[in-house]
Amino acid sequence: MVRAVLKGVLAHKLRLFLTAIAVVLGVAFVAGTFVLTDTINRTFDTLFDEVSADTDISVRAASGFGEDAPIDSLRDTVPASVLDAVRRVPGVQAAEPTVTGYAMFIDEAGKAVTTSGAPTLGFNWTDPGLSPLTLRSGREPQRSGEVVVDAVTAKDHDFALGDKVKVLFRGPTEEFTVVGITGFGEADNLAGATLAIFDLTTAQRVFGKAGRFDSIEARATEGLSSLELRDRVAAAVPSGVEVVTSQEVADESADAVQQGLGFFSTFLLVFAGIALFVGGFIILNTFSILVAQRTRELALLRALGASRRQVMASVIAEAFLVGLFASLVGLGLGVLVALGLQSLLKAFGIDLPASGVVIQPRTIIASLIVGVGVTVISSISPARKASKIAPMAALRGGGIEQGGSLRRRSLAGAVVTALGGAALLSGLFGGTISLVGLGAAVVFVGVALLSPLAAVPMARVIGAPFPRIAGMAGKLGRQNAMRNPRRTAATAAALTVGLGLVACVSVLAASIKASAADIVDEYLAADYIISTTNFLPSISTELAPRLARAPELAAVSGLQTGDWRSAGQTQSIYGADPASVGQVLKLDVTAGDIGGLARGDVLVGEEELKDKKLEIGTMLAMTFARTGEKELRIAGTFAKNQLLGSYVVSTATFDANFSDRLDFVVLAKAREGVAPAEARAAVERVTADFPNVELRDQSEFKQQQEDQVNQILGLVTALLMLSIIIALFGIVNTLALSIFERTRELGLLRAVGMSRRQVRSMIRGESVIIAVLGAILGLGVGVLFGYAIVGALDDEGIGKVVVPAGQLLTYVFLAGLAGVAAAVFPARRAARLDVLAAISYE
Amino acid sequence: MSSLMQPAAPAPHPSAAAARGLDLVKVYGQGDAAVRALDGVSIEFAPGQFSAIMGPSGSGKSTLMHCMAGLDTITSGQVFVGDVELSSLHDKELTRLRRDKIGFIFQAYNLVPTLTAAENITLPMDIAGRKPDQVWVDRLIDTVGLRQRLSHRPSELSGGQQQRVAAARALASRPNIVFADEPTGNLDSRSSAEVLGFLRKSVHEFDQTVVMVTHDPSAASYAERVVFLADGRIVDEMTAPTAERVLDRMKGLGD
Repeated sequence: MVRAVLKGVLAHKLRLFLTAIAVVLGVAFVAGTFVLTDTINRTFDTLFDEVSADTDISVRAASGFGEDAPIDSLRDTVPASVLDAVRRVPGVQAAEPTVTGYAMFIDEAGKAVTTSGAPTLGFNWTDPGLSPLTLRSGREPQRSGEVVVDAVTAKDHDFALGDKVKVLFRGPTEEFTVVGITGFGEADNLAGATLAIFDLTTAQRVFGKAGRFDSIEARATEGLSSLELRDRVAAAVPSGVEVVTSQEVADESADAVQQGLGFFSTFLLVFAGIALFVGGFIILNTFSILVAQRTRELALLRALGASRRQVMASVIAEAFLVGLFASLVGLGLGVLVALGLQSLLKAFGIDLPASGVVIQPRTIIASLIVGVGVTVISSISPARKASKIAPMAALRGGGIEQGGSLRRRSLAGAVVTALGGAALLSGLFGGTISLVGLGAAVVFVGVALLSPLAAVPMARVIGAPFPRIAGMAGKLGRQNAMRNPRRTAATAAALTVGLGLVACVSVLAASIKASAADIVDEYLAADYIISTTNFLPSISTELAPRLARAPELAAVSGLQTGDWRSAGQTQSIYGADPASVGQVLKLDVTAGDIGGLARGDVLVGEEELKDKKLEIGTMLAMTFARTGEKELRIAGTFAKNQLLGSYVVSTATFDANFSDRLDFVVLAKAREGVAPAEARAAVERVTADFPNVELRDQSEFKQQQEDQVNQILGLVTALLMLSIIIALFGIVNTLALSIFERTRELGLLRAVGMSRRQVRSMIRGESVIIAVLGAILGLGVGVLFGYAIVGALDDEGIGKVVVPAGQLLTYVFLAGLAGVAAAVFPARRAARLDVLAAISYE
Repeated sequence: MSSLMQPAAPAPHPSAAAARGLDLVKVYGQGDAAVRALDGVSIEFAPGQFSAIMGPSGSGKSTLMHCMAGLDTITSGQVFVGDVELSSLHDKELTRLRRDKIGFIFQAYNLVPTLTAAENITLPMDIAGRKPDQVWVDRLIDTVGLRQRLSHRPSELSGGQQQRVAAARALASRPNIVFADEPTGNLDSRSSAEVLGFLRKSVHEFDQTVVMVTHDPSAASYAERVVFLADGRIVDEMTAPTAERVLDRMKGLGD
């Protein structure tokens, strides 16, 4: 039996390949995600270990958020006196202070040197023995006006020793001379971040931390453990200052990276899962067709004494072999993909220290289990069908028509669809994401069960113009698509999943875009929006005051945002200038007094006030990372404003509780009667000095919001493309198997005068019908999903559902084109069929 | 010009024959494994004649038919259908020739399962995008007696009915010649008689040329002329055959 299975698999290498490819691609996605994130993780671990390798302990201000403070929460600085205290502790061999802050280079052309997401870091030069910096050329910065640049930035922007470069800070922009170029350990920079290194005094000045340090790094004398040193130093520093081992700092950083990568890998794995789900449909369909075509062979095995169980086992064993083979290939491909992505990161300027590709046992096990699992599970139903073949079928000949009535199947489909829909909705409105995913998957299965019912009438309609376009070939293509509704529907179902999700995301995106424009109209009063491309908080605090001095502008307000905690719950808070915020935002203070902001009070959103049962005039305890718990009086409430969150304080209050304040947006309103061109010119005169910001008016801002949504839509669509490609391979596979099955018929058609071109056009017709059928079903399901999700997001300000009909029609058209592409190979095979061999084929 | 010269070899010239083959050689395989399926066969099929090709298995009778019908290529020699020489034709032209000039009836799987009987009958014209001659098609349908079954699909027809549909299709485009490859091989005797009767009728009433490959002496007896093949050569010919005479002759060939 085993030998029979093996021979069966090897006898149909092409079929094996086409079936396996669905699994290969899915598994490659899974493996690639794991390998990439594991490798990046390991890389950062190495990096952080390297950073802390030369030091034993780190002394820093304690976080108001306590022990579990996130790595990026902003701590207070420590006074310079702490350094002396640390140095006096017996066992401290050396101690060096660190001051760090925002520093962005400006290149020769006056453009800001931005990164793809990584920070633009500035800090002070420390004793090489306590720092991972490795000077590549030049010397360390010794006095005011000198800077050392990381090697990547220097290379990319032609910064050479002796060059004058401008650097942008929270405060005024300054000019420096490049005196050195440095690496970070082995690497040329710190994982994509730009580095600007100054002498300690300059760093303290430009970062606004005169007389203070962010942290102090110290090394123990020979023979003293870091733990021992930590305890000794801890006893010597004032309260509010904590001492941690360098290893702990490295671990904190590594954990933060790991957490971030965790989201990233979950995000990718969702798409890998979708691809595998689609692959499952294709495997199910392929094995169903194979079993039907091998009826005689299987019946012969039964006639020769094989038991039902053995026949079933033989089909499952074949699936197992295909799955194993595909998983192994997918694993290899995944490693290659991860390597490719890594070089891609490098091309984006993220130079990570080499640590080799990390292939964890988990990656291998997960890839094999997932790949083999999907294949085997998908083959169970065809295997059961195979086991029901009667030995007599060997004598009757011909393929079996798949049994079971469509009515029963459709009933099951309706029930499954309803259950899936219910799960989806309860997940959406209950906020359980995994239930949403499960529900969606179940709905797709239900639709796949239902779709054979729709396949014939839909194929008739979709193919209606074919006879007119391609004559008899078109007519035959259409009828071939209708002759086996289960096969057509199952093949189309794979495409339904991918396009369903694309349609859902498209509806969501269109709705968000429409709502975003509404939000701008409803909540924004400013004429000009000044921000960085990604709305990162990196606008110099100089900008807003300088703009405010322009006579063409009536009101200017910079906005800040940060996190605060209450009872373990992290929430956002916004800082704004109380004098002008009401003019740049349509801030509707419904109760209380906005004037309270200037006195250090907090404004709370109406709904939040109600939800948290807060009262105007009472004190609200808010915990900040830098300053710990503070009591703020609730000055009043304001009507929901999508641009402002639920808690607003004055910029002064914000400054008092957060360090390194930078605006994430500056809003400006033109003075009444000033021509737009004039007002804009006034803004531009100021922003010219801050090359990292972009200026937009309201319509440009709406456009940018739209562009951002489009960007995300593009990314998600690209990730869904994989499952669509897999579905197209499914069409190729089905067509190839159908052609094999219809060899005699094709031979007859060729014999009685059908040209090769007509044969190709016939196959193409069938393919286009399957693809368009799958697309239409998918778009239908996807639009319904879109309605459900937008409905659930009502609270987030997405008020109305927008169905981008033109876009969806384009998808149908593209699906048709994809159908043409999927038919190329099968059509060529069919057209090249040897007529004589085909008609004498038994 | 050519009539003035002594032809050393038969030159291609327009001929009255519906189809003819000159010195046909067909070799399968190469070297030691080479098999001469046709070994110098020259044959003519006159218009309006019902010919049968007989011979034991491996005699080359099917190969001869396939080569004459443009389904297979010959190793050497010349094939004419009407006055068209086949060896110079490419696939596209051969396909068009089969579609317009030749009718086919195979042993089985003659019909496209997704098409009705009526659609199967007019298939070659539909493929060509031509309107069928409805009067002629109606006449054929009545002759094969399938008026009541026109909207049925092949799976709803008996084997005999299917072969009659195939026969009507073969004649529907008024081809130069109809090739039938064991048309009764899968049929019972009554259905066989119906199909063969129709073929004979098409020759007598419609002046159709029919060439049928068979190994059944009683089927051959419907023809006006029987050509006997053995080992790739024509070994005998018989006109006005009866089943007994054909059977006797076949015994001599060792079938």
